[in-house]
Amino acid sequence: MAMPSSGCLFFSSSPATLLLRPALPRLSLPTRRPPRPRQHISLHRRATHQGKPPGTNPAAASSQSSPATHETLTDELKWEEALPSCLLRESLPRHVAIIMDGNSRWARDKGLPVSAGHEAGYRSLKEIIRLSCLWGIRALTVFAFSSENWFRPKAEVDFLMTLFQGVLTENFDIFVREGIKVRIIGDSAKLPKPLQQLAKEIQDVTVNKTRFELIVAVSYSGRQDIVLACQKIAQKVKDRLLEPDEITESLFAQELETNHSQDFPYPDLLIRTSGELRLSNFLLWQSAYSELYFTKSNWPDFGEADYIEALQSFQRRQRRFGQRIS
Amino acid sequence: MDSGYGILNTFAPCLLQSIWSSIIWRFCMGVFWYSLRLLLRVVHIGQDLTHTIFCYSISNGLINKYKNLDLHNLRCLAVVIDSEDAKNIGKIKKLLHSLSKIGAMNVILYDTKGVLKKYMASSKLFCNAKTTCFDADRRTVTLILHGDQITIEFLSFSDNKEIISKAANFLCSRQLKSNLLAPHKIEPVFTDTDLLNALKMAGCGGLHPDLLLVYGPARCHLGFPAWRLRYTEIIYDHEFNFRYMGPLKSMKHGAIVKAVYDFSNRNKN
Repeated sequence: MAMPSSGCLFFSSSPATLLLRPALPRLSLPTRRPPRPRQHISLHRRATHQGKPPGTNPAAASSQSSPATHETLTDELKWEEALPSCLLRESLPRHVAIIMDGNSRWARDKGLPVSAGHEAGYRSLKEIIRLSCLWGIRALTVFAFSSENWFRPKAEVDFLMTLFQGVLTENFDIFVREGIKVRIIGDSAKLPKPLQQLAKEIQDVTVNKTRFELIVAVSYSGRQDIVLACQKIAQKVKDRLLEPDEITESLFAQELETNHSQDFPYPDLLIRTSGELRLSNFLLWQSAYSELYFTKSNWPDFGEADYIEALQSFQRRQRRFGQRIS
Repeated sequence: MDSGYGILNTFAPCLLQSIWSSIIWRFCMGVFWYSLRLLLRVVHIGQDLTHTIFCYSISNGLINKYKNLDLHNLRCLAVVIDSEDAKNIGKIKKLLHSLSKIGAMNVILYDTKGVLKKYMASSKLFCNAKTTCFDADRRTVTLILHGDQITIEFLSFSDNKEIISKAANFLCSRQLKSNLLAPHKIEPVFTDTDLLNALKMAGCGGLHPDLLLVYGPARCHLGFPAWRLRYTEIIYDHEFNFRYMGPLKSMKHGAIVKAVYDFSNRNKN
């Protein structure tokens, strides 16, 4: 009979097998923290803005916020106190990628229209961005809309485009104020013109922000990312900046859309919700050594507890990048 | 001095009492903590035993629903193995026998360092197989196991990013030649099909797996060829209970059957 794989006090066949068995996960009793004031990122338009995003002057954007409503993420909390005790700061992933799947299923399970699922998904995203900033994760890439999603019903696609525009507009000043660099990757040519302009504006305004990087994949395809990288390289070859023989892996990687994140181009942890076990054409090149975490929760239900569980799972694993650690 | 002794006599019993209370409290907490750990170990053992018995039942056909697998969705099955575990030839052969028994006709075996490719080259894996047939590049082998034909492709990390770079090289060279013929052509435009054809020219144009099983300590596909992973279902843990396929040494035929069964019953998204 095969021996159980976990550590065992009573049925060990030899002392040597005890050494080979994986250790139990470390248990840590959560310490009781004093209740902290809820940090609220207001995502409703301020009355002063009247539907228009602030101008290109980031200083103006910050100053337009009244003191009563101005809340930063680290106003009242020390950085060390924000992290749950079950997580270790030194082994947190620096870059997390999330496939936000399950909005429609969530809505269907609750008897709500699909649009309600997407709106609930947006609220989950807000919370995860807040937590990521709070806990010191430096980059978050989210798969908002794939190139295959264009084949969904037109009403749903139109709603999603409107939602994206609304989200970017409402959070424009928050991104600027909180030092969040926003990047939109994917085939932007297919997006509605107002959304393209807004995406370009927000990227230009936040290009020098360094506190946190939010990469939103809209109309994105991992394969198309690779193909476009080929195109860019071919253009360089055509312009005599490069010889075909000089094309290497690292050169290729520099031409991918995610390479603009110089510090953290590849995700350490990739999370997919809704129980699906696929990458679905997301970050195919970049996820070679990403830890994959699949959860059954639908995206609107993915909250702080699920996020902590995913991060704990990441911290428990031994990441070897294909090498063996002796 | 007398007052000092007086104070000491007054507080000594209280001090001793608090020290003993602290010791007893720590002892009780320690016992509670180790009891909790023991309980957790027992639970883990129970789970593993259940899993083992379940896999044994599946392997021996005791559970009806796993007897006849519907494989029409499974054109190609890939297995990622840790390079150190790949040196265990016996286990690799056992894996191939399991896959053949299930009915998988096209299999991709991947390990990062190309250990399996070396075994293929030296035919160490196929000495007991009835027929072997290597393709021109000696990357794929077709053999007969249990009376069924199975085609196995061997891949390593060099078939991932390096091959894509070579394919890009090929496309750029072709583009450069066409530019020489038509100098006023604007900018290169490639499609998925162009890159796919270039990958075939570079020697990595095989099937795209529908299901990927990962045997290793980490839940990571270890650099499996990116181009082929678009809609591949990746199995680490078929029960979402933090128990995954695990290392190759703990491979069970029943676990593979269950993974294939779950895959065939899952809807594509």
